[in-house]
Amino acid sequence: MKQGTFWSWVVFIAGAIYFFLPLIATFEFSMRARRGVYSFDAYRSVLADPQFRDTLSYSVVLALLTIVLGLAIVTPTAFWVRLKLPRLRPYIEFITLLPLVIPPIVIVFGYIRLYNTASYLPLTGSLRGTDFLLMCGYATLSLPYMYRAVDTGLRSIDLVTMTEAAQSLGASWTTIILRLVLPNVLVAILSGAFLTFAIVIGEYVLAALLNRPAFGPYMVWMGGNRAYEPAALAVIAFAITWACMGLIQLLTRFQKHTSKKR
Amino acid sequence: MAFLQLKSLIKSFGPVRVVQEFNLDVARGEFVSLLGPSGCGKTTVLRMVAGFESPTSGQIIIDGADVTGLRPSQRNVGLVFQSYALFPNLTVAGNIAFGLKVARKPSDEIATRVKDMLKLIGLPDLGERYPFELSGGQQQRVALARALAVRPRVLLLDEPLSALDAKIRVSLRDQIRDIQRELGITTIFVTHDQEEALSISDRVVVMNKGRADQIGTPHEIYNKPKTEFVANFVGTLNAFTAVVTHAAKGTIKVNDTAITVPHLREMQLTNGAQVKLGLRPEALHVGKQPAPATNLPATVEDVHFLGSVIRLRVRLGDEVMSIDTFNRSTEKPPVIGGKTTISLNPTDLILIQ
Repeated sequence: MKQGTFWSWVVFIAGAIYFFLPLIATFEFSMRARRGVYSFDAYRSVLADPQFRDTLSYSVVLALLTIVLGLAIVTPTAFWVRLKLPRLRPYIEFITLLPLVIPPIVIVFGYIRLYNTASYLPLTGSLRGTDFLLMCGYATLSLPYMYRAVDTGLRSIDLVTMTEAAQSLGASWTTIILRLVLPNVLVAILSGAFLTFAIVIGEYVLAALLNRPAFGPYMVWMGGNRAYEPAALAVIAFAITWACMGLIQLLTRFQKHTSKKR
Repeated sequence: MAFLQLKSLIKSFGPVRVVQEFNLDVARGEFVSLLGPSGCGKTTVLRMVAGFESPTSGQIIIDGADVTGLRPSQRNVGLVFQSYALFPNLTVAGNIAFGLKVARKPSDEIATRVKDMLKLIGLPDLGERYPFELSGGQQQRVALARALAVRPRVLLLDEPLSALDAKIRVSLRDQIRDIQRELGITTIFVTHDQEEALSISDRVVVMNKGRADQIGTPHEIYNKPKTEFVANFVGTLNAFTAVVTHAAKGTIKVNDTAITVPHLREMQLTNGAQVKLGLRPEALHVGKQPAPATNLPATVEDVHFLGSVIRLRVRLGDEVMSIDTFNRSTEKPPVIGGKTTISLNPTDLILIQ
């Protein structure tokens, strides 16, 4: 075995142990709910809990809505900045990075102060209004990832010429974005969407302080009150994440035009 | 009246004026090439016609209607780019159908038109392929079909052959011209390649520093260049200065040899004036010729074998000139350093203004 190959394997095995050992340990612990034997009791208990189903479905719906909102904001912005305002790119990138340095608690207190029941726009006064606020908060938190993903996708295509070709054929901006830009940056968008999904599913601060029944607060509550179920929840959360990654891979393979050039 | 009129077009980017007082009338069905070096403003003119650049001043009129203020999508102008610009997510048929779908044409009409276009460009069986599965030449033909499918009023070609290799470039340029003739579509073709422009155009506009230096048929542009820039840019030119010795007769003196040039009589020159003259390499001949040809002694400085043509560099006194002679398999090419006689016909001399 060559020296380089040997060290590659050492690094690979060390990495695999670092990532997988805690996961295997968590999984092993989640199977110990019944004394003396391995069982799926903790999983049964979690899956049978109506609160699990309610909070997970709430978060999934909100995650999907957040992805739509994020895309609706980010795609035209990134498209326009790349096409017409390239000088503004550094400023836009700086703005999209702000959610990484401003803690979610600042954002949520800002929301509560601006949109409380005594304000001109009392969004916190209704459940749907609060849900909308939460979605906006999630979209803000996922902005750095979504923007970068879409921007990277746009960089990989000849956006200016493609847009001009479409315009000369009579296409409107909406047609260009929906029928040409989005399909050509689909993989990048899916990466952004997946990251958004992961952020929303695990997010705690915004949901807890806006008092909405999301999956993040449920996991925290479960961790403080049960022994084996939190481990089972962690494994389930991982499974959901990996399923999303698998889906992205699958969709990428089905997207014919992303095949390599001859 | 001209079908496409560009009236006093001016375009400035900040303090830099890239197009200056550009005027052009294009007849319906005419094929006009904008020829010039990089940065001369030819693509800017094309982009103004397409609507991607707004003129600083001036007017663009298509079929009698002022389109200067219209958006690109409202002009019904077909555009083919150097980089093909096919939509990678759509098949060949999808690309061709794009403009028709945008215009909400009935699906049976779209299908028929796509089929016709595929046949027109000679790719009837490749409709279901994706752009990445095609060669460069095929992609450019699809781009042409896509632009033509919407039946544009004017077809604009922005250096469409520059990215292709030499052989495909020649065959595709002939195909473009054939299709243009068949459809009778008014076309503007931008290129920096003089051979391309001369070979397929009805008229050529030679551009220099944002201006149209000369507009004329390829024959006029090549044989009667109006400016020194046109004379030098289009083809190879041997330029030299001569002194007018007898203006009324059109006699000049080059290296102590008197030459009478009939068409200089009309130029109102004065005796003793210096004039700049040009001569195409193919207008010079190796060997003596009878009158009215002028024979000059020369020394061969260099010989370039170009296949069908042999290009010589010869010294005539202080001047070095290029001569193109046909390659004949039975004749040996001249040797470097050899003494020879060069002959020219005075009517071939071009006065550079």
